[in-house]
Parts: sequence; C-alpha cells; structure tokens
Amino acid sequence: MRKRVLYIVAFLGLLLCTPTRGFARGEEEPGKFNLREVIFTHLGDEYSWELPGGAAIHLPVIVRDREGQWHCFSSSRLNDGAEHEGFYLAREGDRARKVVARDQEGNEYRPLDFSITKNVVAIGIGSLLTALVALTLARYYKRKRFKAPRKGVGFIESLVEMVYTEVVVEVLEKDARRFGPYLLTLFFFILLSNLLGMIVIFPGGANVTGNISVTLALALCTFVLVNVSGKKHYWRETFWPDVPLWLKFPIPLMPLIEVFSVLTKPIALMIRLFANMLGGHLIALILVSLIFLLGALGSAVMGGTIVISILFSLFMNVLHLLIAFIQAYVFMMLSTIFIRLARE
Amino acid sequence: MSLFTPEFGLVFWMLVIFLILLGVLGKFVWPVIINNMEERAAFIDKGVEFTQEAEKDREQAKADVRSLLADARKQQMDILQQTERMKQEILDKAQQTAAHEAKRIMDSAKLSIEQAKVEAELQLRKQAGLLSLQIAEQVIRRDLSSEESQMKLIDKLLNENG
Repeated sequence: MRKRVLYIVAFLGLLLCTPTRGFARGEEEPGKFNLREVIFTHLGDEYSWELPGGAAIHLPVIVRDREGQWHCFSSSRLNDGAEHEGFYLAREGDRARKVVARDQEGNEYRPLDFSITKNVVAIGIGSLLTALVALTLARYYKRKRFKAPRKGVGFIESLVEMVYTEVVVEVLEKDARRFGPYLLTLFFFILLSNLLGMIVIFPGGANVTGNISVTLALALCTFVLVNVSGKKHYWRETFWPDVPLWLKFPIPLMPLIEVFSVLTKPIALMIRLFANMLGGHLIALILVSLIFLLGALGSAVMGGTIVISILFSLFMNVLHLLIAFIQAYVFMMLSTIFIRLARE
Repeated sequence: MSLFTPEFGLVFWMLVIFLILLGVLGKFVWPVIINNMEERAAFIDKGVEFTQEAEKDREQAKADVRSLLADARKQQMDILQQTERMKQEILDKAQQTAAHEAKRIMDSAKLSIEQAKVEAELQLRKQAGLLSLQIAEQVIRRDLSSEESQMKLIDKLLNENG
C-alpha cells in the first residue's frame, strides 16, 4: 500500500516539471522548438552520433565527386554549415542534412556518398549483437552439448527453436537446412535492430529498421534468394500460368500480373517493416515533442502534458516492443513462405 | 521527403555488413546450433523411446511375475491338496491294514485261546479222572467206615495230589 502511494506521488511529481532549457538546436531561430527538424534528425540518417550531454561521435564521410575523386574526412569538419574540400551539408529541400557539393557551373549536386553514417554504425552494432547472440548459443552447445540451457541462453534457444523448428522446418521441410541460416540471421538481425532502436542513448537510438534503405537491402536479399532458388514450377507459374490461353497468348496479361507479383512481394516486405518501425518511432517522438509544443502555453499545461505524454508514450512503447518482435517474425516468416512457394 | 527515398550508400553498406554477417554465421555458427539441436532432439526421442520400451518391458515383467506367482501359488495349493489327499489315503490304508492285522491277530488269538481252552479242558478232565481214580484207589484201600473219616481222607488226598 505504501509503495503504491509512493508511486502515485512520484508520478504526480512529474506535474512539477518545468522547462529549463531548449530541447532542439533549431537552426532558424535558436531556442525555438522545431518539430520538423526534430523528427527528421531523429528518424533520418546523420553523419555523427549524438551522445547524451551534448557530445557527439564524429563519423567519417566518404564521398566521390563528379570528377571521380574520392574524399574522406571526419564529419566534424562539416559542423555548423562549414565547408570542407567543397563539400557541405545541404540546408533544406530533399537533400537536407546530406553532404552536397557544387560543380563548375555552381549547381548543387549530391556526390556518391559512401559515408559511414550513424545508421551504418548502428547496422554494425546490430550485426555484432546478432553474432554475439548466435555465438553464445553455439559456444554453450560446444561446451555442454546435450545439456538444456537455462536463463539467457535458454531464451536465445527458445527463439531459435521458434524460428527454425516452428517455422522454417514446418514450411520448408527438407530445404530447411539450406535456408535456415539465412532466415535465422534475418530474424535475429531485425529483432535486435528493432530493439536497439528503442534504446534512446548511444548503442541504440538509430532508426535502422525504420530506414527504407535498410529494409530495401533486406528485401533485396530475400528477393534474390527467392528467385535464384526458384524451381521450374515457379518459373512456369510466373511466365506460363494455368489460365485460359487468351489470357496469356497474344497479350501476356497473366504473365505480366505474375511478374508484377514477384516484384510486389519483396516491396511489401520492405514497406511493412519500414512503415511499422518508422511509425513506432514517430509516435514516441511526437508524444515527447508534444510536451515542448504545448509547453509554450505555460507551465501548468506543460505539467499536464508531461503526465499524459509519458503515460501515452509508455503505452505506445510497450506496443512498439510487441511490434518490434512481430515485425521481425513476420519478415522472417514471409521470406520463408516466399522461398517455399518458389521451390514447390 | 528524404525519409522515403533509399540512400545508395546506406544500401551498399547494409548489404556488405549483412552479407558478411550472413556468411560468418551461416558458415560457422547456425549449422553448429541446428546440428546440435537436431541431434539433441533425436537423442531425446531415442531416450523417450528407450524409456517407453523399458516401461513396457517392466510392465511385461511385472505381469510375468504376477502370473508366475499365481501359477506357483496354484501349484502349491495343488500339491498341498494332493499331499492332504495322500496323507488321508495313507492313513486310511494304514488304519485298514492295522484293523485287518488286529482282526487277524485277534482271530488267531481267539483260535489259540479256544484250543488252549479245549486242551485245558481235556487236561482237566484227564487230571480229574486220574485224581478221582487215585482218590478212589486210596479210598478203596482204607477203611471208609465213617463219613468223617471219609471226608478227612478226601481232604488229605486232595492236599497230597492237588
């Protein structure tokens, strides 16, 4: 009972929160909260990784200009709109916050950008974590062999069991050994990246799986795998399906639709994961931003908003946690089913 | 809308990192895990099968033992009954024999008694005859005037010859 009272009092204490300092470093008007800016910096990619307390990890920028010259320098040289070797960060438009350069005529263009950005580092961290998770289990098996793992390792094993035994083997049967490693890697990478994205500070916080480039690459892998491992039946279904002749002979109507469906499958995969994760991040961000937007109306409003916002973001985060898992599972499961359909 | 346009550099790095990860895990890690999991599953299956077999064997053995025990008990009962019967038989027979023998002995005893009796009678008769003859002889030899002297004489003679 006393504990519960303590919780309620602590929670009501949130009402006393008052703004002390500006949140975002708005560029047009210092000190004023800019929602668009906040959302795009948090959800997009960046050339450096902000740490709590204002510090940042500056990551290397690797670009190739129109002349075919490669440039590599620290992103710290581009801070505050500075120009380095002709490159600078675009202020607005579609290329906002990306490295751009000017050609001889003075036109702004986007160089070939292979920079190690925040998301690239986050992908690396996610991959390392995936490897760590898998290695933990493999190491346990090497040491203990048939002993049933407990606690953390047991949890990893139950996930592997869930993916491999419950889905991959069920769907692919004798092909399970061949595609299992890919699907397991896929599942664990997406799951861990999703979860890392929910952590607000350094090793997490990057919007990896909510970035369309990442989901595009993942969907591309599945697409290539499905079509490379497709068997005769699959190709026959695609180019010469079992329909009345007039639907496919002079005008290849059905083949066209089938080819289109081959393309839409990975695109659906890509969009689903991307939109779900982006949506989760967006909601969390907007709910927190609400505090600062409504904070302009006065301290009392802000206090109330804090309580409501925190309650709501807690709820949405729990939901997002569920979605993080479900989306990883769905991506893996659909990939499995697509492979199965191609290998009929 | 930079959020919705794929970035070539990022796709490239993502592919590179992901494929390296896939290569390493797919070659060295997942096969180990899958192998071990499958082997363990097979091992457990075998264990369960073995246990079931053993359980069945045990049940069988239990049933065997039970039937054996029942058999043994039945046999025991049979033997006991048989023994009882045999005992009875032997006893009966023994009794019969004994009775028979006793009868025989009694019969022969009776016979010999009868004979002895006849003999004794004969003897007695002979003796009595002899005695009477002797007594008569002596009586005749003496003066048997008085009745008193006659009796005296008879007594005396009886004492002498008896």
